[in-house]
Amino acid sequence: MDAKLKETILNPIFKGNPITVLVLGICSSLAVTVTLKGALVMTLSVIVVCGISSLILSLLRNTIPGRVRIIVQLVVVAMMVILVDQILKSFEATYAIDKQLSVYIGLIITNCIVMGRIEAFALGNKPWPSLLDGVSNGAGYGMILLIVAFFRELLGSGTLFGIDILNRFGYVPNNLVILPPFALILLGCIVWVQRSIQKDLQEK
Amino acid sequence: MNTNNNLYTVIYTSLIVIVVAALLAFVSQSLKSKQEANEKADTISQMMTAAGFGTKAEFQKMGNAAVLARYAEEIAEAYTVNTDGEKIADMDLSEVYSPSRLKKQNYNIKGAGQPELPVFVFRNGITVVPVYGAGLWGPVWGYLAFEQDHVTIKGAYFDHESETAGLGAKIKDDPDFQAEFSGEKAHWSEANVFEIVKGGSPKNADGTEIYDNKIDAITGATMTSMGLDAAIDTWLGAYSRHFASAESCCETQTVEE
Repeated sequence: MDAKLKETILNPIFKGNPITVLVLGICSSLAVTVTLKGALVMTLSVIVVCGISSLILSLLRNTIPGRVRIIVQLVVVAMMVILVDQILKSFEATYAIDKQLSVYIGLIITNCIVMGRIEAFALGNKPWPSLLDGVSNGAGYGMILLIVAFFRELLGSGTLFGIDILNRFGYVPNNLVILPPFALILLGCIVWVQRSIQKDLQEK
Repeated sequence: MNTNNNLYTVIYTSLIVIVVAALLAFVSQSLKSKQEANEKADTISQMMTAAGFGTKAEFQKMGNAAVLARYAEEIAEAYTVNTDGEKIADMDLSEVYSPSRLKKQNYNIKGAGQPELPVFVFRNGITVVPVYGAGLWGPVWGYLAFEQDHVTIKGAYFDHESETAGLGAKIKDDPDFQAEFSGEKAHWSEANVFEIVKGGSPKNADGTEIYDNKIDAITGATMTSMGLDAAIDTWLGAYSRHFASAESCCETQTVEE
């Protein structure tokens, strides 16, 4: 694998993480991180939407009229989001989780990461790197989501994926952790950790 | 190729929209039956949760087939009534009223047509009726279960489409709110059959509640609470003649005997 492709895949995971560095997709990272299961489904949905929309638009990139490119992007992203939502609703295993995530699946459409990557990358690159870029940006977003959800479910409900971890030792679930502000506090801590490791992100 | 030409732009966008619309319509049609099956099992589990056969989480774990089987075991009778309290027809026992059907009946209650209101009676004598209305962001609905006397509330379960997580969504997620309904009574002959108000019922000096048909609303979710209150008022109001007449009919019968 050549270096550029490797950079495309690895950059969004850490150095150019969409949430902690670009600060995109904050709303949904506060809303869907109460449970790990919800965060996982959201992560997979964003990966699929981001990856495939990038692929489709990269394939179409030379035919899209410049003046209406945002509209065309929106139509493709909206289509992917509706498809994902319809599919989640159709399976017994995911129906309840789709209901729990309710509007947030639909709101993937407004997630700046998706449109941002299409505009910045997919419209100027070949399909294969565009697909990888979409998927790894989705993964970078999802990684943060899962880290936040891990702490929020563990401390807020005493469980992980619904399985009791702390409650059996007499842990009293902390309600503050369940509320959205705590996700913001956790995100702040993650940014802090990342900036202390990656010194070039610090402003002078 | 000049992609900035007007004609090209118009044709291109039209084509993209038509292709996407066709694809989505196809997917929606082909997945419809599966989605309806999920919705039906979900509706049944909500009704059975209200009637006290288990918790929503337990039904969720059981899977669709088991939920339907359990329902078939427990349901005794299902029929529709009109707002005059008269029975219209028996329903198929496998038939349920999903939110989309409740929505239609909600319009009918408000004057758009002739309401056909479902009543579900379980083998243990518990009666379940639905309620439906507008919350803050979207529809709210739910199921109220009555004891054999048709007055005392056995339990309740509510659901919503898009109420605010942590506030309005508590009508579904907060077991304490739903538990408040248990033991309360519907005042069928009054204008307000049941009320959700700030603070709940005022209390006597000894701490007992003065009214047994008022419960406390949700803090921070005034609009959702008011919407749910209006939904309950509208629907129980529509059922009031049916249950009031059911009571009086049976009382006279006992007198005659």
